[in-house]
Amino acid sequence: MVARSQRERALDAAVDVVAEKGYAATTVADLTREAGISRTTFYEMFPDKEACFLAAYDVAADVLARRVAAAFETEPAWPARARAGLEALLESLAEEPAIARLALVDFGAAGPAAQRRYRAALQRMTPLFDEGRDFAPEGRRLPPNTSRMAIGAVVGLIAEEIAAGRAEQLPGLLPEVLFATLSPYLGPEAAALAVAGER
Amino acid sequence: MATDIESRRDAILTAMVRVVGRKGYDPTSVADVIEEAGTSRTTFYKHFDDKHDCFLAAYERMVDQVFDTIVAECDGERPWVSRVRKGLETLIQIFALEPELARTAVVEVAAAGADARKLHWDAVNRFKGYLEAGRELEPGKELPEQISVMAVGAVSGLIFDELVAGRAEQLPELMPDLLFAMLVPYLGPGAAADEMRRAAQAA
Repeated sequence: MVARSQRERALDAAVDVVAEKGYAATTVADLTREAGISRTTFYEMFPDKEACFLAAYDVAADVLARRVAAAFETEPAWPARARAGLEALLESLAEEPAIARLALVDFGAAGPAAQRRYRAALQRMTPLFDEGRDFAPEGRRLPPNTSRMAIGAVVGLIAEEIAAGRAEQLPGLLPEVLFATLSPYLGPEAAALAVAGER
Repeated sequence: MATDIESRRDAILTAMVRVVGRKGYDPTSVADVIEEAGTSRTTFYKHFDDKHDCFLAAYERMVDQVFDTIVAECDGERPWVSRVRKGLETLIQIFALEPELARTAVVEVAAAGADARKLHWDAVNRFKGYLEAGRELEPGKELPEQISVMAVGAVSGLIFDELVAGRAEQLPELMPDLLFAMLVPYLGPGAAADEMRRAAQAA
């Protein structure tokens, strides 16, 4: 058995306690209790609660981005690649509802640095979408922001589900999420066909 | 005098929106709000239980004001695409003129708890419903139920990004893209790109 390091325990604690109590109500004492580490140890690793939260955010965003990228690479071409990536995203979020809350809901309570982390994390998802530009018949006429729009649409669909405590049901939203991703590139009719056809 | 009491309450609500937009929800204190409003702690607690209670009231009032402005500008706009353009333009102008309001409306609301997030979601739905109402459906054409969630999600995602990056004043430059984002789920990429080009030329 590999023991988790004290740092890992602190990061896990940040994810779990913030999901349970919300960011504002979480104290360093909560984190040290949950992690089973001393206050001194905590402050040797992090200057404050925010730093610990941001470190936890970075780890969560990395894990999600790597899983999505790995799934994306299993398919040779868009839009199957987008489908595989989104499926991995929804499944990962459903497996870890606390991480889903941290990544897409609770970050908003943690101040400007966390808000910038969130933007950066979403930005890492753009490759999933950008290939749609080459694939789509109208691709070259689409605005450069199309991938950001598609991400916004996806987040709009899933963030409220997570906030409502329904993260486990996210994989069931794949058809809607995939449609939201494909339709800016392909148009609603072709996107609906692609969603229905590629099972 | 009733109007005087009402105006003091209004001043506090306006101050709340501004201060939260400037400092963030968490760091904002009741002391900050009464200083901005030029009123007293006693007056504040006569109207509100605490900061959170006041924030919820301030948020609701702000949404009503923004929405009333949009409705006043858009009612009578035809066809549907013009109405959407006018509605978005009005929203973006309000945000560009009042960056603090914009940050409170779109970014900081997430820090104010589940009930505040609910108010935000209700506001988004209201905006969505208003936009959908003017749409002339092609007969026999069926679009997924969630389509307006996508349109509004895409638009609010772009706006959120710009606000977090401190670019509220530059939002109007994004108007063609925002219009594309709003229209594309309904019209498809080709027609939405045409509207985007038209909006860019008009700007």
